[in-house]
Order: sequence, then structure tokens, then C-alpha cells
Amino acid sequence: MPSANEPTIDCRELSKHFHDRKRGLVRAVDGISFQARAGEVFGLLGINGAGKTTTLRLLATLLRPSGGDARVAGFSINERPAAVRANIGFLTMSTGLYGRLTVREMIEYFGRLHGLERERLARRTEELFERFDIASFAGRRCDKLSSGMKQKVSIVRCVLHDPAVMILDEPTASLDVLAARNIVEFIADSRSRGKCVLLSTHSMAEAEKLCDRVGVIHRGRLLACDGIAALRGSSPSGRLEDAFVKLVEERAS
Amino acid sequence: MSKQVGVVFAKELREVLRDRRTLIFMLLVPTVAVPLFMWISTELVTHFATKLAREEARVLLLNPGAAPELVRRLRDSSSLEQTARRIEQVLVGAGLSVEELALLKGEPKAFMRLLEKKGIAADELVGKLRRATGTADLDADPKQLLAGLAPPRIQWLEEAPAGVDAAALAAAGRRRHELLEAVRRRKLAAAVEFDPRAESLLGEERSAPVKIFYLESSDRSRAALKSLRRMLATLGREILAERLRDRNLDPGFARPLAVRAERLPGPGFMAKLLSMLLPYMILIFALAGAMYPAIDLGAGEKERGTLETLLAAPVDRLALVLGKFGVVMVAALVSALLATLSLTVSMRAGVLGTLSLIGGEGFSFSLVEAGWAFLVVIPTAGIFAALLLVLSVFARSFKEAQSYANPLQMFVILPAFVSFIPGVDFDAGTALIPVVNVSLALKAIFTGNLDQHYLHLGLLFLSSAVLAAGLLLFTTWWFRREQVLFRG
Repeated sequence: MPSANEPTIDCRELSKHFHDRKRGLVRAVDGISFQARAGEVFGLLGINGAGKTTTLRLLATLLRPSGGDARVAGFSINERPAAVRANIGFLTMSTGLYGRLTVREMIEYFGRLHGLERERLARRTEELFERFDIASFAGRRCDKLSSGMKQKVSIVRCVLHDPAVMILDEPTASLDVLAARNIVEFIADSRSRGKCVLLSTHSMAEAEKLCDRVGVIHRGRLLACDGIAALRGSSPSGRLEDAFVKLVEERAS
Repeated sequence: MSKQVGVVFAKELREVLRDRRTLIFMLLVPTVAVPLFMWISTELVTHFATKLAREEARVLLLNPGAAPELVRRLRDSSSLEQTARRIEQVLVGAGLSVEELALLKGEPKAFMRLLEKKGIAADELVGKLRRATGTADLDADPKQLLAGLAPPRIQWLEEAPAGVDAAALAAAGRRRHELLEAVRRRKLAAAVEFDPRAESLLGEERSAPVKIFYLESSDRSRAALKSLRRMLATLGREILAERLRDRNLDPGFARPLAVRAERLPGPGFMAKLLSMLLPYMILIFALAGAMYPAIDLGAGEKERGTLETLLAAPVDRLALVLGKFGVVMVAALVSALLATLSLTVSMRAGVLGTLSLIGGEGFSFSLVEAGWAFLVVIPTAGIFAALLLVLSVFARSFKEAQSYANPLQMFVILPAFVSFIPGVDFDAGTALIPVVNVSLALKAIFTGNLDQHYLHLGLLFLSSAVLAAGLLLFTTWWFRREQVLFRG
């Protein structure tokens, strides 16, 4: 387990290179380092194709790094990927629900994959169903749910095993206002519970609204990593968008 | 780990059983559609075969004037055509339908069983037939009697029918072409030409050439040819008998060897057909039943975006592969088993109508055979499941997976078809060829020849199990590759 003052996510010189038939060697993630602590919401801000999703997949151990390492909840992604997976909640753009399972079956499946005992799983499920107001549609098949309901179920799946780290890939993209609110509340709630939240976004507004600190990522490299206020201050206009454009343009020249 | 395999298996099975598409392919098609399809196709074949048998074939006599005596005798009441009519009258009088007669040729034993079922005494019937035809020459074998009913009746034409150019027929150069056109346009089924000197040759006790014009590609024309050959042969035998009588010679003089084939009470024609058809169907259904679940469990997870979340859970990759593999394999086996059971059960129950009358004979199908068949298919179901999963996991979408799985069907259809090829034996060599070995083993099981093949069965199990295990290992390795899971 991580010691008290160790960052919950500690990413050091993380790289991921692909071989592409057309483009040759692609440095999707190119030596990224940053830290995120418990009770903090850290955002990876960048345009499409900047390397955000790849970074999150590396940290979630879905991909193996080409170089560097990261410690997530105290475990190395290279050496203890299974332990890392047991300590993260992963939420993607799609809700990732099995349409032909009922909400209860779906949650039970992931609970058992996480190795929760039946009794504990049952208790935890009831607790979460109540907290997220799911009990009324727990017996319905997932493909019959509204997008807001799906989002809630997806969140429950994510926090079922009470992980220390939440990894959210573009959590509010393609969501309507109401469904997006669920996410916003969930992030705020996670922070207050002392979780470390890592999310990716291409939206300045979202980054400003949700994140304590932001890493600006472009072409696989981290251009800046600071608090929202400090980043805003780096632009004469005091707007995050202008600061972002300035960083990207400096990089290009 | 084994607990996780169980969790994955149970969840995937539950999902598969809730998928309408899978259920249709795995349960409905084999249990309902297959017997229905077989029933409809046999009924159609029966219908058209009977229709063809009842039609009159129009045969043009190109030069009736050249052999008036032969023409008279062909048209005479003692000709086979008339005999056939009388046989038919007797049989219909005894309570058999013309349809049954047309179908039953070639299956004498089944015919006897039918007589029994209808309470008709076979000896009595044969006696009646002898009396009606007045020929002692008729074989007591019902097959011989019935053979006379199969060909179409001949309608003799002495002049070209309307639409056929008589002048063109007369011209030696254009005759073949004109006949071809007439058969094509169904004005004629065939034409007969006597040698101009036919009658004088017969008078000199020599051989008289008779030519039959027919078209190979026309069923009607070929049936007429068969009928004509038989009639002319009967007439020839009559003439021979007269010649022998004139010289006071015994009929045996011209037939020094009286040959008669005696059939042993082994598998009949339909049994043979089923033992070829069933292995093919079992293999095809094993693959078809596994296809949708396999695509759903691999490419389906990618397409619906569930794969990423699943892989981010602390579940062993091997457990995922084994759980999914297990469900796909079960789907293959269930589908194959249902196809086999529904066909044999409906055949026993007589749902297949005419087919069931002649099917059971010599065709081994008891619980023992069913058990062996199931065992033999298991490793191959594993091979199918692994192959389909490999393709499915590689594909980015359901559609892409389907386009990979379709050619795979060709690779199964061709080797499964080997049960239809005569002379390919289930031996130590063929027992090692995947899919082919199952096809041949099932054929051996269904014809009751299993006792000669225990060694080959062993080889089959060994080779198929090794291949299935190898493919499963490959699938596991494949499933760990991020280039496969996160393509594009």
C-alpha cells in the first residue's frame, strides 16, 4: 500500500510507441511525468489525438508502456498490473454496459470479477443502489434504460469495489445535460471522499469546472502541468483557452 | 482463477441465451427449420417425380412404314406399356397410391413393410399380378414388377406434330437439328427410326438396327429413352423366344446363365443417404450455432464498448478466454445435437412423410450412436470455437467479424462434404485430418460400422484434441495482444 505522503498516481517518463504502416513510428505518448494526489481531481487537457486516451489506458494497464513506469495506488503498472486493476475504477466514453443483462446482474458480474464475496457484494450493491437511486430499475435490462440511468449504473460499476483511483476517459462527452450532471456530482463526491480522480477532456470549460490541476497534453508530450488559476495567469487575457493555444503554438514554433 | 472462469462462463451464457439472433440460429433453425426444409424438399421431389411418371411421352416414329410389323407389335396390348397399366390397376385396386408406387421403387424391403402396414398379403398380390399380366416371365421380386411403372407411358406419333417441320425431318441434313428443336420445345420426348431393311433382316433371323433420338439434358427425354429401351428389349426377347420355339430350343439356350442379384438385409439406400447427410448437417450446424455467440462475445464487446471496462477489471485474461470459449463450444454442441435429434425424431415420428417410410432401415440410431456422435463432435466443436473466437476478437465490429466467419464456413463445408464422396474410408490417415475425420467417423457410426474403427476413433480424439488445445493456446495469446484488442 502507498505511504501517506506518496502521490496516488505517480507517472514517470511514461511512453507508448506504435508502429503504423502508413505513418511509421508513432509516439502516441512521449515521456510523460506527473503526479496526482488523494482528494484531487487531475485533468489531462488536449485536442483529439493528443495522447490522452492512450495515457489513461496505460495507467489502467490495458496497454503496456514502451518506456517509463507509473505507480497507481502504490503499485507499478509494469510489475503489478493486476493489483493496479483491483484499485482503479475505470469509466469510458461509452457506458460499457451489457445490454442483455439486468442492472443487478451487471453489477453482480463486475463485483464477482473483482472478487467481492457474495455477502459483501450484496451489502455494497444495496448501499450504492440507494445512494444513486437505482433500486427502482435494478431489475430492468440495461439496453432498456435512459442515458441518465445508464450513466448511474456505469458509475456504480466503477465504484463498486471502492477503488482509491478513478480514471475517467472523456466522461461527459456525448452526454446530455442531465446525464452529465450525474458525472459532475460523482466527481465532486469522489473528491470529498478522498479519492484521486484522473480524467481526460478536450473541453476547456469542463477542465475549469471540474479539475483542481490540469496537464496540457499535445502530440504525446506534457506541455504544462499546473493549477487552473496558475495556467489562466500565464495568458494576458486570463482565459484558459488562450493559455492553452499559446502553449500549443509555442510548442509548434 | 477457476472461479473467475465460472463467473465469466455463467454471465456469457446468460447473455447468449437472451440474444434472439443466437437463439434462432442455435435452437430454432435446427429444431424446426431443418425438418421442415427436408419435408418440403422430399414432398416436392415426390410431387414432380410422380407427375413426370404419369405424363405421356410423345415419341415420333420417323419411318413407321419401314417396319409395319414392329410398329404393330410395339403398340400391341402385349407390350410392356400395357403390362405396366395392368400392374398399376392391380396395385391401386389393392389400396396403394400411384405416388407410393413411384417412390417405392428401389426399396423393395420398405415396400414389403408398407404392404404389411396396409394389411396386404404379398404372395396374394404377386399372384394377382401374374394373372393380370399373363406372363410367368415376371419376376416375383416386387422391385422388378414396379420397375414397369416408373417410365412414362408412350404416346406413339406416326406423323410430325404441329409445329415440327415434316419436310425438315425428311431432309437428312436438317433432321437432327429439327429433332433437337422439337424436344427442346417439348413437342416430342424422343424419336425412333427403324432401319429400312429391318423387317427383312428379322425375317432372315438377323439383327435389325433401331435408332432412338433423345436429348441428354432433358429429364422427359431421358425417361422416354429408358422406357423405349425397355420396351424394345422386351419385344426383342419375344422375337427371340419365337425363334427358339421355331427351332424347338429351350429358352435357356439363349440365356446360358440365369443371373439374379440377391440383396443382403443391410443398410438400404435411404440409410446410406442419411449416413452421408447427417455428418454434414451436424458439422454445419456445429459451426453455424457457434458463429453468432462467438461474434457476440468478441467483436460484439468491442462494438458496444464493453471490452475496455472488462479488461480494466482485475480478471485473468485466461479466465476470460476460457469462459468465452466454453460458451461458444457449448453453443456449437447444442446446435449440432438439436439438429441430429430433431431430424431423427421427426423421421421416426413420420413427420417427414414418405421419407420416414423408407428411412429407418439399416440406419443405426439409438442412444448409443447418439452418445458416440456427441463424443466425436466435442473436440471439433472446440476447434470451431477457438477459430471463431480468434476471428471475432480480431475484428473491430460485428460486421467485420461476420465477413471473416463466412469464408470459414467454406472451409468446413468442403471437408464435411467428404461423407458424400464414395470410397473415402475412415482410416489411420483420414482420422488425422480435422473435420474430415469427424465426417467419416459419424458416417461409420450411423451405418453401424463403429466396431471396426476404435483405433481410428482414438486417433481422431487425439489429433483433434491436440489441435483444439493448440488453437485455444493461440487464442489466449491472441487475447493478450493489445494490437488485436485495440486495433485501429
